[in-house]
Amino acid sequence: MEAWKKEQLTAAGVDVHGALERFMGNEALLERMLQRFTGDANYAQLLAAADKRDAEEALRAAHTLKGMTGNLSMTALCSLFTRQVELLRAGDPDGAYAMLPEITLAYERIVGAIGAIGR
Amino acid sequence: MEQTIGNVPYVAPQTLLIVDDDAINRGILDNIFSAYYKVEEAEDGRVGLEKITAAPENYCAVLLDVMMPEMDGLETLQHLKGLGLVDEVPVFLITAESRDALMREAYNLGVMDVISKPVVPYIVTRRVNSVVELFRARKSLSSQVMKQQAELLRQAERIILLNQGMIEALSTAIEFRSEESGDHVRRIHDITQYMLEHTVWGEGLTRESTEQIALASIMHDVGKIAIPDAILNKPGRLTPKEFEIMKTHTTEGARLLGRIPQLRENGAYYYACDIARHHHERWDGGGYPDGLKGDEISPWAQIVSLADVYDALSCKRVYKDAFPRAQVLEMIRGGACGVFNPKLLDAFFSVEESLAGLYQSE
Repeated sequence: MEAWKKEQLTAAGVDVHGALERFMGNEALLERMLQRFTGDANYAQLLAAADKRDAEEALRAAHTLKGMTGNLSMTALCSLFTRQVELLRAGDPDGAYAMLPEITLAYERIVGAIGAIGR
Repeated sequence: MEQTIGNVPYVAPQTLLIVDDDAINRGILDNIFSAYYKVEEAEDGRVGLEKITAAPENYCAVLLDVMMPEMDGLETLQHLKGLGLVDEVPVFLITAESRDALMREAYNLGVMDVISKPVVPYIVTRRVNSVVELFRARKSLSSQVMKQQAELLRQAERIILLNQGMIEALSTAIEFRSEESGDHVRRIHDITQYMLEHTVWGEGLTRESTEQIALASIMHDVGKIAIPDAILNKPGRLTPKEFEIMKTHTTEGARLLGRIPQLRENGAYYYACDIARHHHERWDGGGYPDGLKGDEISPWAQIVSLADVYDALSCKRVYKDAFPRAQVLEMIRGGACGVFNPKLLDAFFSVEESLAGLYQSE
C-alpha cells in the first residue's frame, strides 16, 4: 500500500497500523475489506431503521457496524457505534438516533477516503 | 509384532470452522489461521451447525460469532451441547460483547474460551492453537491406550488358546503312551460338551462353566503317567495286584493336577481334579477310589465316566476289539461296566444317535 493511501486513511480516522497488525501485514486483504465496508448495507439499514423508529433493527445494524469498524481499526467511528449500541440496549433509542449526524460525518469521511484510494 | 491390526490409527482433524455473518471478520480470522489449518467458513449458525454435525471428526476447532441472523451463536452452542459435540470439538466464542450474563451462559454451554473482538492475532492464535494441541494429544493418547488394550486382550486370548493346546497335548501324550489313539481325549471332550449343551445335565451352568468342564474332561486320565508301561499296555487281564496299581491313576491324576500352581488359578482346575479322581466311581458305590455313591458323585464326573466307558467300548483297545454299536448300548444299559445314574442314562440315550456320529467319520 502506497504511503499516500495510508496518509489518506489515517486522516479520515483509520488506525492503519493497528489494522495491518490485525491483518497480519496483509495489505491487499485490508484494502479488499475496506472496499467491502463501503459497499456494506448495514449503514443504510441503520438509517432506515432510525427513520422507522425500529429500535431492534437499529441495534442489530449498529452492533454489526461496531464489529466491522472495530476490525478495520476505524477508532473514532467504532467508539461512536459502541456508544450507540449502549444507548439502544439501555432503552434510549432517542439518544441513539440523536447521534446519527455525528456518525454520518465520521462515516462519510472514511468512505470518501476509501473511495479515493480505490480509484 | 504388528502394531495396527484391527485398529484404525487416529488421524488428527485439520479443519478450523469460522462461523460469522460478517465477511470482514471471517476474512481476518481466515487470514490468521490459514497458516495452521484448512479453513472453512459459514455465514450463520445454521450453516455452521450443518457442517459440524455432518462430519464432527473433521473439525479441530470452531470459532463462533454471537450475533448472527438465522441462528445466533448461543443457540448454535446449545445444539452442539445437546449433541454432545462440545466435548469433541473445542468451540471458541468470538464476540464484541463482554456482558457477564453472556459469558456465564456461554461457559455453561461448554464453550472452551471467549475471545473478544476485534481480535488480536497473536492472542487468538495462541489461545486456539494450544487448545487444539491439547485435544489432539488427548485423543491420540486415548487411541494409543485403546490400541494397547486391544493388544493385551489378543495376548490373553492367545495365552488361553496356548493353555488349552498344552493341556490337550499333555493328555494326548498320555493316551499315546497307553497305545490308544489321541482322538480319545478329543471325543471325551466332545461327548461331555454335547451332553451339557443338549440335555438337562447342562441346566444352570454358564457357558464358561460348560467350557471349563469340557476342558477338564480332557485331563481325566493324566494320572496314567504314573502307571508303569507293563501294566498300562498289558494285552491280557490284569492281576488283582496290577489292577490295584492301575486304579491309582485316579488319585495320582488329582495329585498331579494339584501340583501345577498355574492350573490352580484356572477355572477348570476344580472340575479337572474332581473328574480325574472320580471318573471311575459308580452310582451304586461299586467304583473307585473313594466308593462314592449316587449324588455324592458330581454330575460332571458322572458324565465323563459314562463318556469314557462309551468311548472305550466303541473303539479297539490294547486288551479288546471294538464292539458293535448295538452291543455297546446293551452293555451300558445292562451295567456290564458298572452302574450309572438312571437319569444320566436317559439323557445319554436321548442324544446317543448324535454322539454315534462322532465315530462314523473315522
